[in-house]
Amino acid sequence: MLKLFKTILKAGEPTVKYPFKPLEVCPGFRGKPELDPQQCIACGACTMACPANALTMETHPESNERIWQLFIGRCIFCGRCEEVCPTRAIRLSEDFELAVTNKADLYVNAVFRLQHCVACQQPFTPEKSVRYAVELLRQSGMSDEALEGMAAQFSTCPACKRKQAISCHEKRTLSFAVVEKRHEHL
Amino acid sequence: MNTFNHHVSQPIALSDDAARMKQTLLKDIKRSAYVYRVDCGGCNGCEIEIFSAITPVFDAERFGIKVVASPRHADILLFTGAVTRAMRVPALRAYASAPDPKICISYGACGVGGGIFHDLYCVWGGSDTIVPIDVWIPGCPPTPAATIHGFAVALGLLDQKLKGVEHVQGADEKPALILPDIPLTLRVAVEREARRMAGYRQGGDISHRFLTLLQHQDVGAVEAWLKQEHDPRLSEIVHRLSAVVAGEVVA
Repeated sequence: MLKLFKTILKAGEPTVKYPFKPLEVCPGFRGKPELDPQQCIACGACTMACPANALTMETHPESNERIWQLFIGRCIFCGRCEEVCPTRAIRLSEDFELAVTNKADLYVNAVFRLQHCVACQQPFTPEKSVRYAVELLRQSGMSDEALEGMAAQFSTCPACKRKQAISCHEKRTLSFAVVEKRHEHL
Repeated sequence: MNTFNHHVSQPIALSDDAARMKQTLLKDIKRSAYVYRVDCGGCNGCEIEIFSAITPVFDAERFGIKVVASPRHADILLFTGAVTRAMRVPALRAYASAPDPKICISYGACGVGGGIFHDLYCVWGGSDTIVPIDVWIPGCPPTPAATIHGFAVALGLLDQKLKGVEHVQGADEKPALILPDIPLTLRVAVEREARRMAGYRQGGDISHRFLTLLQHQDVGAVEAWLKQEHDPRLSEIVHRLSAVVAGEVVA
């Protein structure tokens, strides 16, 4: 009997004190994904990577917004979003207490504005992703004057750029057949 | 969906009496709560975590939460799995067999929103499409601690921590550059090498920590970090990254 008590005393208490004391999770624990909306450039890399489609993004050009949404209920905490985020905007926290009585509380929304093209006035990309690209160019050594000079290019959509490129070089022959004929003449 | 005249599953509606009685159960149960787990076509990960929640380490039974073998004994029904076509009727039978009032909990990513199976052809996508759910416990699977927290929320012992967030872009929001003092090409080269060696997620973390220490021009700190971690794999990777920084290795 005494021996049994000794064994019990030696074994100690294995039960965690969890709901009364916070539980310590192991390093590398993947809990609730937290978005830092300041850092997010709404590029959509995380929504492409999310295997469960917990992360979704909708673009509404008529109301000039792109809505990023995380449905924590569907999240499988794999960390792919964290891997692909170019600005470290989404990180997996150590928060695991996610039970809710109201399903609407499982949604995280973020609304971002769109960049309008100076030529055709159509939105073509999120405003913040253009700003971030400019900052990256500045970091890689482009001067402020050069960036200022290219300001019109940053706010032109790819389709308009293509059109402008063609209209600028109108005199150049684009057709193969014509060039070949010219070669024959020579 | 309505334009194609597709059927959209609606959960069972509760009678007024059952709803009123359930409120007293949710707020103040005043006795042990018996749990029956209903598998609606899950992968069994959730079941394993439910059973680890009643092991001595987490010991849900100290709160009187007991897993029972029959729905006829149950106060709480735990619905796991994404509700497949084959398991829908058995789940409804288990629901019908449990005496009123009963608390229904949607458990795991599949139960809450269908999880990775949410858009499969034979899947209803969440247990709230078939039964009235009171508490949602997300996680894939929820850890035993999350399970205990979920039970506590269901029985009114704890309040839910999570709140829905709605952010609208401010007037002058600007994303900060990562490591502005490190040249962009160097950062990309180091990150690429670290991800090649340590895998994508860990590689990203290692290169970020390494470059943060370098940014502060703290060579001693790198050594201190390696000593503290005491991991030969990490030392190998970080030495390789140092070689990339020194220009000895082209990543």
